[in-house]
Amino acid sequence: MIKFENVGVVYPGGVKALDNINLEINEGDFVIIVGLSGAGKSTLLRSINNLVKPTDGDVFVDGKNVTNASKKELKQIRSDIGMIFQTFNLVNRSNVLKNVLTGRLSQVSTIRSITGLWPKEDKQIAFESLERVEILEKAYVRGSNLSGGQQQRVGIARALAQKPTVMLADEPVASLDPVTSRVVMSYLKKINQELGITTIVNLHFLDLAKEFGTRLIGLREGNLVYDGSVDDVSDADFENIYGRSIKSSDLIGEDD
Amino acid sequence: MINLPKKPPPSLMVFAGIPTAVLFSYYCFFKVGFNLTDFKENLENRYLVTDPLFNPKWSWAIENASEALVETIQIAILASVVGCFVALPLSFYASQTTNQNKISYFLYKSFLNLVRTIPDLFWAMMFTVAVGLGPFAGVLALVMFSLAIMGKLLSETIDSIDPGPLEAAKSSGASHNQSVFTSALPQVLPNFTAYFLYIFELCIRASVILGLVGAGGVGRIIETQRIFLRFDRISPIIVLILLVVILIEQFSVWLRRRIL
Amino acid sequence: MPKQPVQQRILKYAITALIVIGSIWSASGLEITLEKILKAPEQIAILVGAMFPLDLSSEAIERILPKVAESLFIAWAGTVIGAVFSFPVSFLAANNVAANYISETTKQILNGIRAFPELILAFVFLPITGLGALTGTLAIGIHSIGTLGKLSSEVIEGIDEGPLEAIKSSGGSKINELLFGVVPQVMPTITSYWLYRFEINLRASAVLGVVGAGGVGAELINQLRFRDFPRAGTVLVATVVLVLTVDTISAAIRRRIIKGRSIKV
Repeated sequence: MIKFENVGVVYPGGVKALDNINLEINEGDFVIIVGLSGAGKSTLLRSINNLVKPTDGDVFVDGKNVTNASKKELKQIRSDIGMIFQTFNLVNRSNVLKNVLTGRLSQVSTIRSITGLWPKEDKQIAFESLERVEILEKAYVRGSNLSGGQQQRVGIARALAQKPTVMLADEPVASLDPVTSRVVMSYLKKINQELGITTIVNLHFLDLAKEFGTRLIGLREGNLVYDGSVDDVSDADFENIYGRSIKSSDLIGEDD
Repeated sequence: MINLPKKPPPSLMVFAGIPTAVLFSYYCFFKVGFNLTDFKENLENRYLVTDPLFNPKWSWAIENASEALVETIQIAILASVVGCFVALPLSFYASQTTNQNKISYFLYKSFLNLVRTIPDLFWAMMFTVAVGLGPFAGVLALVMFSLAIMGKLLSETIDSIDPGPLEAAKSSGASHNQSVFTSALPQVLPNFTAYFLYIFELCIRASVILGLVGAGGVGRIIETQRIFLRFDRISPIIVLILLVVILIEQFSVWLRRRIL
Repeated sequence: MPKQPVQQRILKYAITALIVIGSIWSASGLEITLEKILKAPEQIAILVGAMFPLDLSSEAIERILPKVAESLFIAWAGTVIGAVFSFPVSFLAANNVAANYISETTKQILNGIRAFPELILAFVFLPITGLGALTGTLAIGIHSIGTLGKLSSEVIEGIDEGPLEAIKSSGGSKINELLFGVVPQVMPTITSYWLYRFEINLRASAVLGVVGAGGVGAELINQLRFRDFPRAGTVLVATVVLVLTVDTISAAIRRRIIKGRSIKV
């Protein structure tokens, strides 16, 4: 489903974010990527929808070459990939419904989106997405008036509205408390299991990774150092990925 | 089909406000005499202005307007200095953070608001009648101008400072004035300086116009030349003023970087 | 006790000296003596005294009220011109929306327009559009395009790029990013700038009358010239009342716009 072939990313200034990544992710996988800050997790995720363009190698999504896609192809590819962010990235002054509808922008003509005359099907898709994360009743509430967990659920709804085949989550729970984090992660897991959407999540909380993931990928200084089932992972493996022993800040813990 | 919760009614402001604004705009344009055909005709006259405008007579300007230009700058310097420094204590009285007395706060704040409502040229007109024609009236007018702007800007800044140090000073037994002087004033000094430079620039632009009503500066010359459509003499004067303004702007940017 | 770094102290003394010397030079150049300063308050009091009681005869009101209204119309129409034209231009001037060479050029053009006070612009338009309100409107409108353009572009440059990234990652086009990411973020602040500009333009339009570009200014200067102080006082009070009213309403609307509406669920 997603294939990395010798992918490397060097940022201007010489920083090597990814080094010769070769990776294959299958349809329906729930993959969790762990690693230190700066290990390349964000870069890896963003090279899948070409928000970051690899300097070497190619990334393939569903057989199509994302790295060298034309503008039109890229738009099409991106519309099938949903993304949620650590800072939620909602338009704070717009209400929940408007935010979710922006997920349909790639499918709707400019005129309709400006005037607010969204086609009925698109509105239905938005409603369904909101329903799936159980936040439909807040449809007209302004984004900034929601709690962090609620905002992230809206973010998930927005991504779902795209009817994606792939879901990317860049540190989706880093700014949330333990209980809310587990709620958000379980929504992601539920969506993966019920809709079969290939899901890739960046996390830096190791216990959450073990709790929710099926497949674990470890990055260290831009290199792939671990790729295997979550059940097989040992503390020693984590220490190898992190290059140091595990600290309490690596675990989200329980709610106190 | 999933049903959404009920959509809240559109806000009154948007529902009533926007159509009112649009209608009012049409009315205003009508009242103001905006007529596209007339306008097109008028535009044909533009050579009356543009021909001389782009033909500046520098030597004439430098010979006849230099003194007035200097006068303009002097008016601006004096007015902004006096106005801003007088506004400094006034602003503290016009802010609830530093003035707990509701009546006195209201009086000072209203005074500043009132001074703000009168345009600078109106002040100039009145002062020329009171103290006579000439730059003194101009300075007084711009003192009011600077006072008003600095008063508003600074009092609003004081409204949003950290009241903590102020409380600390008072609780240690310092008098009200002492605590304001040591704990509130230092917090707003950088803002004061920035506002002062901004107001100085505004004063230079404003003092160009004062001459129109006889309050000193280059405005008098501009007015007499304008009546004879001598834009060829006006444009170099304007350019010189702009140069001064730009120089001051650059200087203030440099200064701000140094002290902040 | 550590002393302030020497460079900073020198700078502070230099600036203080500059201000003091500048003021003294100015005062002497303008021949402002202590005598004049001391006489001033008395002279001002005489003038204010002469204005009261105000001339509230129907003749006066018939003359003054339409002019006051005219100032209002000029200010509003001018602000509308400024808002409508500055909005698209501000996007061109924002370096995070338009390419650098476009945004830099636009900014310089806006600076050029801004540099001319409304009165000077009125001068330039007078021979073309003649005496009257239209000239004032054009002068205020064009100057407003300059200031609003610059302020709006600064708002655009200060937005949170996060929502834009989200739209881009979902396959949205650049136009989608602008309409759904930028516009909702900047509209409240930009609209409040428009209203603030209206408040300032009202004062400018009152003044423009002095050169015959419509509004109360001509009335005031005439009454003062003819020494009809009670009537001049009326003009002044009428202007103050108008400006205060507009200021208060506009400030209330601006506060409401920035705060936004809260919906309870």
